[in-house]
Amino acid sequence: MTEYGQDEILELIWSLREGGRPTREALLRSTEEESPESLLDELESGGFVDLASDEIRLTKTGEERARGIIRRHRLAEVLLANLFDLEDSQIENSACKFEHVLSEAVTESVCTFLGHPPVCPHGKAIPRGECCDKIRTEILPLVTRLTDAGLGDTVRIVFITPKSRKRLEKLSSLGIVPGSRIRLLQRNPSYVLQVGETTVAVDRDITDEIFVKRT
Amino acid sequence: MTNLSQVAPEFVEKVILVGNPNVGKSVIFGRLTGRYVNVSNYPGTTVEITRGEVRDRGRLIEVIDTPGVYSLHPMSEDERVTRDILMSEPGSAVLQVCDAKNLRRSLMITAQLSEMGLPIVVVVNMVDEARERGVMPKIEKLSEEIGVPVLGTVAVRGKGTDRMLSLLPEARPACVRIDYGELVECAVSEMEKLIPDDSPIGQRAIALMLLSGDDSLSAWLATAISENRIREMNDVRNGLVARMGENIAYHVNQKRIQWTERLLVRMGIEASGPPSNGMAQRFGRWAMDPVYGVPVLLAVLLIAYGFVGAFGAGTLVDLLQNRLFGDALIPAVKRVADAIIPWEIVRDFLIGDYGVISMALSYAVAIVLPIVGTFFFFFGVLEDSGYLPRLAVMVDRIFKRIGCNGKAVLPLVLGLGCDTMATLTARILETRKERLIVTLLLALGIPCSAQLGVILGMLGGVGLTASVIWFAIVVGTIVLVGFLASKVLPGDSSDFIMEIPPIRFPQIGNLIVKTMARIEWYLREAVPLFVVGTVLLFVADRTGALAVIERVSQPLIVRLLDLPPKTAGVFLIGFLRRDYGAAGLYRMAQGGMLTHVQVLVSLVTMTLFIPCLANFLVIIKEHGLKVAIGMALFIFPFAILVGAVLNFAIRHLGIAL
Repeated sequence: MTEYGQDEILELIWSLREGGRPTREALLRSTEEESPESLLDELESGGFVDLASDEIRLTKTGEERARGIIRRHRLAEVLLANLFDLEDSQIENSACKFEHVLSEAVTESVCTFLGHPPVCPHGKAIPRGECCDKIRTEILPLVTRLTDAGLGDTVRIVFITPKSRKRLEKLSSLGIVPGSRIRLLQRNPSYVLQVGETTVAVDRDITDEIFVKRT
Repeated sequence: MTNLSQVAPEFVEKVILVGNPNVGKSVIFGRLTGRYVNVSNYPGTTVEITRGEVRDRGRLIEVIDTPGVYSLHPMSEDERVTRDILMSEPGSAVLQVCDAKNLRRSLMITAQLSEMGLPIVVVVNMVDEARERGVMPKIEKLSEEIGVPVLGTVAVRGKGTDRMLSLLPEARPACVRIDYGELVECAVSEMEKLIPDDSPIGQRAIALMLLSGDDSLSAWLATAISENRIREMNDVRNGLVARMGENIAYHVNQKRIQWTERLLVRMGIEASGPPSNGMAQRFGRWAMDPVYGVPVLLAVLLIAYGFVGAFGAGTLVDLLQNRLFGDALIPAVKRVADAIIPWEIVRDFLIGDYGVISMALSYAVAIVLPIVGTFFFFFGVLEDSGYLPRLAVMVDRIFKRIGCNGKAVLPLVLGLGCDTMATLTARILETRKERLIVTLLLALGIPCSAQLGVILGMLGGVGLTASVIWFAIVVGTIVLVGFLASKVLPGDSSDFIMEIPPIRFPQIGNLIVKTMARIEWYLREAVPLFVVGTVLLFVADRTGALAVIERVSQPLIVRLLDLPPKTAGVFLIGFLRRDYGAAGLYRMAQGGMLTHVQVLVSLVTMTLFIPCLANFLVIIKEHGLKVAIGMALFIFPFAILVGAVLNFAIRHLGIAL
């Protein structure tokens, strides 16, 4: 599991750097890995870190790898916190596993799906990915919040993550349920939706909880 | 559940109208019974049960109109009213009214009615609108599918409605059996065993409600089920929750939706031409557009001012008060009275300063009636057109600040017609906090049409500055008090999820009937109170009590507000009817007894003043005596305070009016 261990060390270096200077001493103090010294050596010989001075520096390749790990970890945190309302401890545990397994394509889908969040639930910056760039030639058919759906486009509801059960029941009695086709008619002053022949006005916090896919 | 279950045994049959909001239940009720109940184009017009009767080939049938429901698993007070009436009227048939354009949602209720085991006839209303849009389902297939009579109607034009009664004897429970999956079905059958056989509606329905976590059944449970049984019921539910989580109601709903979808596919849609997209729908979009919505709102206000303010309060009042009463009626009565009534006191009673004819009738008929009449007509146009829900969309964000959402605009605008009616309509709001805030704001700051008309008439005489100050103070007070109340009152605000009905051209027939019904209601409620108020004033004046009241209130009225002592009497009758009080001020101003500053101060105080008697009684009915007294104790000193501060500010800042 050295790759796993390397990831953890790189992640820690990135976090320490956000809080100030990532020194070797600070790293050894905070790490939970069993043999951090040998992991650091592995990373150095792999060309990811530069251990010449007391402050650990990331090389260009090391920077890129760490960036990816942090990005996957924090996106996973947002995903788990926003969608599943999990407790902080559970989020941390699962996010730590996500960061090692998500492929590039999946990460981009998750990021787009979450609306390219700039920060994690703890308020730390999420490194941007290619998918966050606004100017692109092709638009991928991904799941987005209804809030971000194009005006007048017909979209299909994939799922709803309501704050309360009552809200979910109310929406479902109006025909706003996973699977139904829906059109966003306007955003201001309130969000107005069309489901079948029913027109419904709702608040933004509700459209934020409805996830849709272009059809 | 309620004492409603013991009504009128002489009725042979009962039929309950049930359906989604805004599908036309009240129109059908009117068609059946010939009784008018308020009909508008927005969801939630009916908040209470209305009963009527119809005789059909010798049978006497009681007809019960209910508030519209999205589900029979109640989420708001008015939905609960409907569910409870189904439980408390055993042996009734149900006439389920559906919107042909939205049959999907109506069928959800059909499914629930069939689980309740109630005999139903399905009326698919508004087939004209569905055909226009090319979405008319083949309803003759529906009858085959669910095994109950199905009838298509256009109730506002009376199409098909004459056949409703003859179908009633064929009402039977719909053959709908939705499979909710093994887990739920197991729990349902266990739960059913715990529910007594003689329960008022089908055990399957009750079992599903209980499993879904419906806490509004507790009143019935307390009377019908023993404590031990209730514990066992909780065990069944907890067992199910442990296996599939809390979202049972959602799961059940999903299964019902799947059933409706499959049913609709089997039914199919009538072939039709391309759907038309008329001017009306375009206007509907503009009315809630962030840009075009503002001019539309301004245009609506302008037309309201022109029609109610200028035509009603100006032309018509002038015609009735000066021409009819001033030039003709009162002098004529005076001549007759002088000739045939020898006692001065009786003559004064009729046509003196506080005379029944010279004061009560001329206020009620000559000043207030034309204003109320034109307002009710205009308000009717707004209601029937479907503009009001769009207004709710426009103001939603502002209302968030005062602890409500856009829906609260419906009772508040209705309050401009009559605060008493509007306090009842506050029921369409989902949380107690919202209902309390709206009730308070209605009682405090929303002038009713009669009062508003009189106020506008007086302000017109004083000038633009005064009008602007009055408007700013009243709106400012509403926003401020709403904001503070939202901070102080416990509880939550509800989600803004509001159905927007299509824009419709108001049916002139319904408009006239509705306006007449409201005017009749006004005359019945207001005129007697005007007379009572006048008699009280007359007696108080004769016995010297009025002088005492004027002296006692001197420190408030004269020192604090700088108003003439006579104003005390006007405020006093303002409690009987606010418009009556306003009309009293109108008379005083006309008689040159008030300066411009005094007009403004007295109008602001009167606008914010305690609600009228009827409104107060409705507050007690809806929220209890304690809340009502609490509100009065806040509003009364608050109104005087605002008046006093205004008076002080104008005099010391030297604002010229």
